[in-house]
Amino acid sequence: MSDSSSSHDSPPPPAITGVSEPPVANDSDTNAKCQTALQSLSSIVTTATIPPTISLLLEDNAVSAAISSLLQLPDSGAGDNNLCRWLYDTFQSSEPQLQLLVLRFVPLIAGLYLSRVPLRQPQAGFEAVLLALYAHETTSRAGQAVTVNIPDLSHASIYHESKGPAKNNSTCLNIAVISSTLDPHGTVRSTRRARIVGVALELYYGKISMMPRESKLNFCESCEKWAGQNGEREEEEQPRGLIPEEESVAVGGRSEKDSGRIPLPWELVQPILRILGHCLMGMKGEDREVCEAASKACQSLYLRSLHDINPKAILATGSLLRLREMALDPKNQVDHTEISSDNVLSV
Amino acid sequence: MLENQSKELSENREDEITRQLCANGLFMKTTEVEAKLDEGNIQEAESSLREGLSLNSEEARALLGRLEYQRGNLEGALRLFEGIDLQAEIQRLQASAPPPEKPVTKKNRPREPQQQPVPQHAASLVLEAIYLKAKSLQKLGRTTEAARECKSVLDSVEKIFQQGISDAQVDTRLQETVSHAVELLPALFKDSGDYQEAISAYRRALLSQWNLDNDSCARIQKDFAVFLLHSGVEASPPSLASQVEGSYTPRNNLEEAILLLMILIKKFNSGKAKWDPSVIEHLTFALSLCSQTSVVAKQLEEVMPGVFTRVERWNSLALCYSAAGQTSAAVNLLRKSLHKHEQPDDLVALLLAAKLCSEEPSLAAEGAGYAERGVKNAQGMDEHLKGVGLRMLGLCLGKQAKVPTSDFERSRLQSESLKALDGAIAFEHNNPDLIFELGVQYAEQRNLKAASRYAKEFIDATGGSVLKGWRFLALVLSAQQRFSEAEVVTDAALDETAKWDQGPLLRLKAKLKISQSNPTEAVETYRYLLALVQAQRKSFGPLRTLSQMEQDRVNEFEVWHGLAYLYSSLSHWNDVEVCRMWEGRKEFKPALAAFLDGLLLDESSVPCKVAVGALLCERGKEYQPTLPVARSLLSDALRIDPTNRKAWYYLGMVHKHDGRIADATDCFQAASMLEESDPIESFSTIL
Repeated sequence: MSDSSSSHDSPPPPAITGVSEPPVANDSDTNAKCQTALQSLSSIVTTATIPPTISLLLEDNAVSAAISSLLQLPDSGAGDNNLCRWLYDTFQSSEPQLQLLVLRFVPLIAGLYLSRVPLRQPQAGFEAVLLALYAHETTSRAGQAVTVNIPDLSHASIYHESKGPAKNNSTCLNIAVISSTLDPHGTVRSTRRARIVGVALELYYGKISMMPRESKLNFCESCEKWAGQNGEREEEEQPRGLIPEEESVAVGGRSEKDSGRIPLPWELVQPILRILGHCLMGMKGEDREVCEAASKACQSLYLRSLHDINPKAILATGSLLRLREMALDPKNQVDHTEISSDNVLSV
Repeated sequence: MLENQSKELSENREDEITRQLCANGLFMKTTEVEAKLDEGNIQEAESSLREGLSLNSEEARALLGRLEYQRGNLEGALRLFEGIDLQAEIQRLQASAPPPEKPVTKKNRPREPQQQPVPQHAASLVLEAIYLKAKSLQKLGRTTEAARECKSVLDSVEKIFQQGISDAQVDTRLQETVSHAVELLPALFKDSGDYQEAISAYRRALLSQWNLDNDSCARIQKDFAVFLLHSGVEASPPSLASQVEGSYTPRNNLEEAILLLMILIKKFNSGKAKWDPSVIEHLTFALSLCSQTSVVAKQLEEVMPGVFTRVERWNSLALCYSAAGQTSAAVNLLRKSLHKHEQPDDLVALLLAAKLCSEEPSLAAEGAGYAERGVKNAQGMDEHLKGVGLRMLGLCLGKQAKVPTSDFERSRLQSESLKALDGAIAFEHNNPDLIFELGVQYAEQRNLKAASRYAKEFIDATGGSVLKGWRFLALVLSAQQRFSEAEVVTDAALDETAKWDQGPLLRLKAKLKISQSNPTEAVETYRYLLALVQAQRKSFGPLRTLSQMEQDRVNEFEVWHGLAYLYSSLSHWNDVEVCRMWEGRKEFKPALAAFLDGLLLDESSVPCKVAVGALLCERGKEYQPTLPVARSLLSDALRIDPTNRKAWYYLGMVHKHDGRIADATDCFQAASMLEESDPIESFSTIL
């Protein structure tokens, strides 16, 4: 009932309209913020050298790896964790560049956070970061739902003509909700947890074309854990002999492997699938490793949706898997822009 | 066609001797020039061509470039193409092009040939050279430069043919180059990471007149749809120039992608383009993301026969309909596909059918059959689904137990249900849903200790994220008559729930207050709940989806029902304070009216039936004719919910008023047995 009151403990993120501000002031402001962020990061990450600019930092694998390993420490999500605080402050700076830096770690944070929930570890630090992302999205779309009109081909469109009578009745458009309205939340109430993380993933998806591949790989790994269906494919993987014995032997109780499995309501599954779709089909050029990781994640989610008998998820994951299969089929790898190679070349 | 091409390609490699160069009716073997090219003697190669085929220098170089390109010597091809001053050629062509006329719209383009025909042969030569230059750059990984060259092909075409291209005007070779360039350009921008340019190249390809054949147009449409769906780059809406009055213009990526994919399916269905199986998959994915699986079903239904086998089609349709909540349509389709002459062993179809049947008491027996077949067929690679089959079997049997022919049958079904669920948990010990269902099954059989253990385990496993877990635990505690603990759980749940989702918990809380003889607070809670429900009704547009609440949202009439119940029970209340609050109200009539309203809204509502029955029974003390009505309502309620303690109690009262003492005794006995383990709301409201 105290939803709105506590959400303002932290300064509300200003509107993200950096464009309208005078460019000069903006620049120096940005620089100052970036420098502060870099300096405070260097006190947290001691195992790697922090590069002098944010754009270099975004690309820096060593620093990312250092941050990732800090995040993976057992108590990394606690409320007094320096790194979480840094991520929170950095995102709240409302500098697009700095925000990208935080979004880059969303897959890892979301993955660890959700999988750790049943372990009852203190996670106020992770929650603060996720709530900051949620609040940002809530303000930037004023809590409104994101909708899509499902077109009706009996209306002519820019891409086709219609023979039917030209109705100009837009009311018969079919409206679908792809992200429902957002209420402000000051704390993570457990029944809203999936939604809050889902919104963070939506935000991540919105910037996914700017995310480095390691971040996407982290995401695919998280998905596999969440789906919790990795046991099913052991038979296929056995010949490779890569799985350490003790990991797959879990007698009674919950093994480490199980503990990642989480409830997967649609509000999580939907953004997950959008991100996986990007990893499979939307990346610039071919990245085999990401594609394979994503298709493994998809496979796990497909099995999971069979276990849950969740028809919507079965349809979506099944389609992704079949599309992946088609893409790998050499029959479909024809370059249609190649010129015909006749035996007789003429002018 | 594609296969033919690649076949030709491989044949070419095998016997290159037969390959020839040809121009002006003269022929030359490629080997003659190839030798010179291999020595790096471009000049000589060029001059031998000029002599042998009587070509000019540009033509000779273009032909050599093409030869090098086809031989895979891309650097050599590039050197040759760079030796031709292509820009000068284009300017020459533009000069010879007709002066710009008034822009003509799509529809009334003049059909007659132009008065000053463009020298097509020359245009074709130059444009092909630039195009091959772009292709060579692409293959060398220099995509940005390739995109620039490719774009210049299209820019030149637009300048030379200012009115767009139509069939009558263009020779096939030129058209081929143009079509290739149109298709290549967006791909090049995409590969070079220039996404905004890629979007405009796609739109340019689809919205301008390039005289593309249907298949290449379809390919571009599909590629663009895939790009829109998956690139993660939000495209700005199409420019105003391309929008036609009254026609639909998509506002965002998903809309545009779905539109394109639907157009493609329509083209396939009308035979205008070759069926591409990936299109329906992309569309299924996109529409599932929007939760519009009924639209997928419509698209699947329109797909031409022969593309899918009928069982494939039925099963996909069943998935679509069940995801859209159209259970009976889905079940009907699955019955067809699981028929013994079709594919009776399809595991996914069996499991889906079992699940759908488990939701409906009248189908539960049928569902149990599917589940059993599923368990039997979960073998080999699919063995991991055995647990799912058992789980569905347990659920179906549990549901079947609700409509039994006898008490014996009921207990048999219930114990079999438990057995199946227990079997399932051996396969899926980490599946919280299963833990929950097992708990509910125990609760239905009044094994409250086990039920509460599973309820707690479920809350732990889900981290309290699922509302029904909290409600279930509270109900189990209430059945154990541990009301204050149940209230603690309810309060904890309220803390974990956002305001809009609190309805069912508040209702529960109000009932717990009543059970603890605290009517004032119960009324308060009800009032709060009523305000919430009314606010919800006003502020919820169709755009809000309440993920966890869809099934168990509190109806306003339920709240009125609760209040009415409270009023009527207050008529027995002696507390002066409380009575004064409700002074002057005639409790019986408004209460009865409220219940009857409730019954009208939902004629199978057990609580309403019981409540009306109870009121009529009370009335019956003075007014005998209401007793038969009360009796039939109560018997009806017991048929649906045989563990309803109040119904048994009031049925006993009815018998008593009517003088059937033996019957009354039986009923009271049932009621008293149930009283010790009665939850505050029926367990079946949860599952």
